Amino acid sequence: MAQTLVLRDRCLVSFSLLGGVILGLTVLALLNLTVKELADIPHVVQVAADAKVIDSIVLTMGAGANAVAILMIFGVPLAYVLARTNFRGKGLVETIVDIPLMLPHTVAGLLVYMLFMKRGLIGAPFYNIGFHFEDAYPGIVIAMLFVASPYFVNSAREGFEKVPVHLENVARTLGASRFSAFRHIVLPLSARDIYNGMIFAWGRAIGEFAAIIMIAYYPMVISTLIYYRFTTSGIKESSTVAFVMIIACFAVFMTLRYLSRFIGRHDDRV
Amino acid sequence: MIGFRHVSLTLGDFALQDVSFTINEGDYYVIIGPSGAGKTVILEMIAGLHLPDEGEILIHGRDASGVPPEKRRIALVYQDYSLFPHMTVEKNIGFGLAMQKRPKEEIDRRIRELLRTFGLESFRDRFPGTMSGGEQQRVAIARALASEPEILLLDEPFAALDPITRERLIADLRRVHRETGLTIVQVTHAREELLRMATRCAVVLDGRLVQEGPANQVFETPESTAVARFVGMENILNGVVAANADGLASIDIQGRSIVAVSDACPGTAADVVFRAADVTLHVRDGEESTARNRFGAVITAVVSFGGPLTEVYLNAGFPIVALVTRQSAEDCDLAPGMSVLASIKASAIRVIPESA
Repeated sequence: MAQTLVLRDRCLVSFSLLGGVILGLTVLALLNLTVKELADIPHVVQVAADAKVIDSIVLTMGAGANAVAILMIFGVPLAYVLARTNFRGKGLVETIVDIPLMLPHTVAGLLVYMLFMKRGLIGAPFYNIGFHFEDAYPGIVIAMLFVASPYFVNSAREGFEKVPVHLENVARTLGASRFSAFRHIVLPLSARDIYNGMIFAWGRAIGEFAAIIMIAYYPMVISTLIYYRFTTSGIKESSTVAFVMIIACFAVFMTLRYLSRFIGRHDDRV
Repeated sequence: MIGFRHVSLTLGDFALQDVSFTINEGDYYVIIGPSGAGKTVILEMIAGLHLPDEGEILIHGRDASGVPPEKRRIALVYQDYSLFPHMTVEKNIGFGLAMQKRPKEEIDRRIRELLRTFGLESFRDRFPGTMSGGEQQRVAIARALASEPEILLLDEPFAALDPITRERLIADLRRVHRETGLTIVQVTHAREELLRMATRCAVVLDGRLVQEGPANQVFETPESTAVARFVGMENILNGVVAANADGLASIDIQGRSIVAVSDACPGTAADVVFRAADVTLHVRDGEESTARNRFGAVITAVVSFGGPLTEVYLNAGFPIVALVTRQSAEDCDLAPGMSVLASIKASAIRVIPESA
């Protein structure tokens, strides 16, 4: 639509103004921080070069990616079953999928901790064979996986539901098994939604704090590091780490959004 | 070849009840019925996409419940074409062969053959989203035929096509049916298609199969009023059989008597059905007619649809619809209020006892 037309549409103008409040809040918060940080650029450079900060950012993003990879293996089948079947108790299953979304993060953390701690139901047998979740990388991944799972599963499911069941039916009558039809028809056609689900889940995983510190205070993910610096060294130290993290996230997510243009593109006028 | 034996299936609010029929090899079998009657579900059951709750589906005389859709050699073409939007025409047509892991040369040869048969050579590398409905439908049928199925299932294949494209597709299908002897099962709600293509047909109303048999038989001798209405019998009148002499029944309809060839017993309530085309109108008195039924009637309306035929609505003590050529309607100056004589042969009238 031509820009002048948008300006003449009073409904669109007032909606834009109202919506702008949300954008404004984020932009204001970012600008507020950025202006303060840019006043002392050498300090920013020093923090950005700090091995602890770099390690922590890499750890956070890596563990998040790891959680998403595990989610793909288990979440894609779950999403497909939810998209394509109707069964008694489906509503209950859907609620279970969404639970991590609704729980306070400390509650999520407690649930994960009690299951994966040294004496936990799952943690204990693993501890006995020398595999630790408490204060270890696997603990971070598990906590991230738990809180990010609904974002991935729901997004993938939406993608599967968008693929007309007729396409799958036709593929089957043409000689494709259910799995072949899934692989050749359903998966490529829902690639974009799965990709978006991965980005959401990853973002959610990177942002987690409460659930992670309950099972793994160390090694410090970026949220833990920022909180630690905030309580020990004050606002200036922590805000600079935060600024560095914001820049890293911004760069990564812009790239991911850009790449999504090339995924699952097809003419869906059919 | 395909047999349904007392098949029932409930899917949400919809239920298919006790459906039985047999489709023989080489049949062009048409299933007709209004939207939502369960026609598509029957096709999907033949393809193996739903299994019956009760009853049995036989293919080549054997219970097919253990055979998944991909092993049945039954191809299905939906009304919405259901082309794979992320594949070119070539890949769409070759999909089935690729799934069966046929050699690449064979796949290429078969694709070339089908592109030529359906006049699609120039579309080879196009994506479905950029093509018209008729073009997409041709690709869908070519794709279905690619892996040489034994049975082709067509779900309302002509519904969304313009008349010219439809004619071309009908010609293509007739040729395929004639040349390959392929068994075709087609679902439609349009009666005209039925008469032109079908060897046998079934009428499905509300989840039940209400009549089945050779197409012209179903069309000419409906066994129930619902089927009569659906196959386009314009005149349906309620009456009571007053007498029956040697297979010639007279039925009392609102005080007037209609004579029809029927063995219905006196005293039974019955519907009298006949086609508008079987009603002859006479404008001049004393015109000779061998028809048993002759009624003085007054024209209530003359409706022309712009085609070669005109519908004439009459009041003969009961309503009658007649069909005349537009030419004769104009020649005789047919107009509301005019008195005419309507005659109907006793053999053109079908009597359906109320219980049916």
